[in-house]
Amino acid sequence: MSVTELTPMQKLEVVVGGEDVPVVRDLFAQAGVTGWTSVENVSGLGHDGFHQGRLLFNERAALALLITVVPEERIGALVAGLRALFDERPGVMFVSETRVSRPEYFR
Amino acid sequence: MTAIAPPQPLELRATIRAEVAAASRVVAPLWPIGTFIAVNPLGGLQASSFEEAVRTARRDLGARGYPSLREARAGHASGAVTDAQLADALAEAVDGLDDLPPVAGVPAARLLLADLLHAPPAPGPERLQTVAARWDAVLGTTIAGQVDELVAAWCAAFTDEGVAGWGIPRDPGGLYATFRVLAGDDSRVGRLAGPGVRDKLRALPDDPAAAIVAALERLGVGAAQRGDELRAQLLRQPGWAGYLRWRSDWAPADSTSPPADLTDLLAVRLTCEALGVRAARDRAAVAATGLPGSRRVASAGADPNARLAAACDTLGIDGDALTADDRARALALLARLGEDDRGAIWLAARERAYRDDLLAALDRAPVAARARGEGRPAAQLVCCIDVRSEGLRRRLEALGDYETLGFAGFFAVAIRFRGLGAAAPAALCPVLLRPAVDIEERPAAGGEAAAAEALDRRSGELAFAEAFHHAKSGLASPFALAEAGGLLAGPLAVLRTFVTPSRSRRPGAWPATTVTATADEEGDPGFTTAEQVRFAHAALTMMGLTGPFARLVVLCAHGSHTRNNPYAAALDCGACGGQRGGPNARVAAAILNREPVRAALAGRGTVIPDDTWFVAAEHDTTSDAVTMLDRELVPAGHREELSRLEADLARAGLALARERAARLPGGGPAAARGRDWAQVRPEWGLAGNAAFIAGPRSMTRGLDLGCRTFLHSYRAEADPDGSALETILTAPLVVAQWINAQYYFSSVDPELFGAGDKTLHNVTGTVGVVQGGGGDLRVGLPWQSVAVGDRLQHEPLRLLAVVQAPLARIDEIVARNQVLRELFGGGWVSLAAREHDTSPWFRRDRDGRWSHHRSKEAAA
Repeated sequence: MSVTELTPMQKLEVVVGGEDVPVVRDLFAQAGVTGWTSVENVSGLGHDGFHQGRLLFNERAALALLITVVPEERIGALVAGLRALFDERPGVMFVSETRVSRPEYFR
Repeated sequence: MTAIAPPQPLELRATIRAEVAAASRVVAPLWPIGTFIAVNPLGGLQASSFEEAVRTARRDLGARGYPSLREARAGHASGAVTDAQLADALAEAVDGLDDLPPVAGVPAARLLLADLLHAPPAPGPERLQTVAARWDAVLGTTIAGQVDELVAAWCAAFTDEGVAGWGIPRDPGGLYATFRVLAGDDSRVGRLAGPGVRDKLRALPDDPAAAIVAALERLGVGAAQRGDELRAQLLRQPGWAGYLRWRSDWAPADSTSPPADLTDLLAVRLTCEALGVRAARDRAAVAATGLPGSRRVASAGADPNARLAAACDTLGIDGDALTADDRARALALLARLGEDDRGAIWLAARERAYRDDLLAALDRAPVAARARGEGRPAAQLVCCIDVRSEGLRRRLEALGDYETLGFAGFFAVAIRFRGLGAAAPAALCPVLLRPAVDIEERPAAGGEAAAAEALDRRSGELAFAEAFHHAKSGLASPFALAEAGGLLAGPLAVLRTFVTPSRSRRPGAWPATTVTATADEEGDPGFTTAEQVRFAHAALTMMGLTGPFARLVVLCAHGSHTRNNPYAAALDCGACGGQRGGPNARVAAAILNREPVRAALAGRGTVIPDDTWFVAAEHDTTSDAVTMLDRELVPAGHREELSRLEADLARAGLALARERAARLPGGGPAAARGRDWAQVRPEWGLAGNAAFIAGPRSMTRGLDLGCRTFLHSYRAEADPDGSALETILTAPLVVAQWINAQYYFSSVDPELFGAGDKTLHNVTGTVGVVQGGGGDLRVGLPWQSVAVGDRLQHEPLRLLAVVQAPLARIDEIVARNQVLRELFGGGWVSLAAREHDTSPWFRRDRDGRWSHHRSKEAAA
């Protein structure tokens, strides 16, 4: 199977504080997202400064990275919700084209 | 210019959900009362400075964020705050104070000090208004109040979880869906919405976010005003909003209950407001002409002329004789200090006084007490950092060669624990963590028959209690119950009110039990050895317990024992999710007694001698008695030492109980207060908390810190990479700050941030308490937890963190952790530190600059 035979999809990556993870998951669920990957305790440098990612006894203070892949028609609602969230809360999102081999998993 | 296309329905709904989530930051999550967790009521505003957050709370919620002028001035009158400390706080708050021109020959600083000491207070603040509240002002209606009452009743019914005799049939779609289906039968909704209520409800959108959009449109709220309106709506009911926020953001995943979140709550609220406003306008024949009145009712400051007159009186100036220039200059000067500024200055002055006293005391820590000796102590006692442990540690150390340490009371084991016969497991760990494993309490070997008998007995008692409860809430059964049991129940209630039982009521002998800390191949849940080694190493390093080890090391958890007290969990261990910490101590002791764990720890440089035994215990903070747990596991060769230690702990506990009872109104034996079902103040809990100290015990040993300090053991030399300090500052300190903020705000605004008078509380379901017959859930601590009569027992101060560690290490840790940048940079917590025992103290300002702290003596 060549790359061009794969099905085009939209990939959304979101980095938010641990306390905002439930909101993002709720937005995913409301948009009909069928699955996502969550990487907790990520570290990095942003315009708010450095964010430590290896906190032993605090899972809320560290950042989390959530990744999901959705068909084109669902990305609009997700982006609209996240933009509204980021008007008030810290966080970033990245939207990019991607391709998948089993599109039925993402619909 | 291209017109922006209106958002599609799906996008708009997602936008609304995100806006609701953002708006929800104005309310703090509210844990169910059975697992009460102290939180910062303004935690959602923590990215702002403390002062800005308080300003927002004043403007939006109508809340007070500072101690009242009356209390602040009383502190000054009593000498708790000196003139110099007040003047220093004023100089720090007003830039260039010394350069400001005098008024009638009086320096600006003196005029402002006179204002702080004698000027009248400002009237109370107002709050953000919902649309219905604005219409109420125009139409003379009470729609907003009716909606509050209605929505509170629906929330209580929906979240009841089977406690009520007659529950409502909940729609799987959630709170809003249930409301939409059933509200047509609610006469209160009918009165609010007017004729045709069923048709109006049927016409509502299915989706709660879409219902919010529809209601806002009917109320005339545009996109630009949406955020304010959503916040105003939530702030009408911060209790229920906080509880639903907990359900969404903090509760363990629950797939069995229909959903109820803040979007549901707002959909119901706004729908009711829209229906009510429409009906009221129809009745009054008022045409839709946009939104009436003002979104915010501005808070008027104290009358400037009255302030000036008071200051002039104090200074002996004839106010009427002031020149126009002097008068204008004086009024301009006073205008520089708004009501919040005056509160902030008083607070800073009082905190300065406490800090100066504490650091001076630490400098004076008795040298003899510091030098406990180099050999093995008679025993080591590791207590929770809870402020009440400070008293127990101090009292025990005075009785012998004991070493005590402080550590978060879950002892680094985050567990979901199911006690013997318990219906459901409980998460025993800080709420910042998710429990790592399930641990089950089982009968000890050979005790299965006794356990079965005890469980049967308990089942019988529970069945009786349940039958009694159902009989009370049935349709006809209450009459029969009153006939059959009334004669006995009435006198019993009177007896229980006036006569405290001489001992705790126990359901017969409880069997010996065991907890299994280690996962095994037979499917017993627990930690793997690798996890045990990781947590044991982290715990011992964090508290600096790397040797020498005593033959007995007690891991002393804590919990309270009170009766008829919905707020019992507020007295339990915050590090154990508002539960008693005994199970954590048992699991941690079992781990540290395992040979494979010790072998691995030795490989990492921590050698625990073969004759060292870890034993679990629990400190009852109501009676200050300490009970050993799993005593039967203690090796025979250690029993005699254990008995001696128990005797000393009993003496220490008794002395502490007397000390703490003296601070309680009415006195009396502490244990009896816990057994008294009519006692509204069984103990003071964490009232008085003011500082968090991370350092070796040599900093504080021999000092009486009055049960006001969280004490976390830390030895910088045992933590070369700073990871232990980073964990201490990002977890125990954060939890301590939540507790501190809960007590602070419950004291400065007991109506909005506190739970009010405990004697008027009614428990609703398993959720929380309401005052009287209904209404919003009460948040925070009851007045009886922080005050007696109109006198505060808890002194509201922001947390002072005191750390003994290299300053550069602290800076590095703060720089890489946003939570610390916010806490220290925003003034939520202040920080003082020194490098080691004999070095001077430094204070870290909000911008991260260290300055040398002048001791009181030096300042004098």
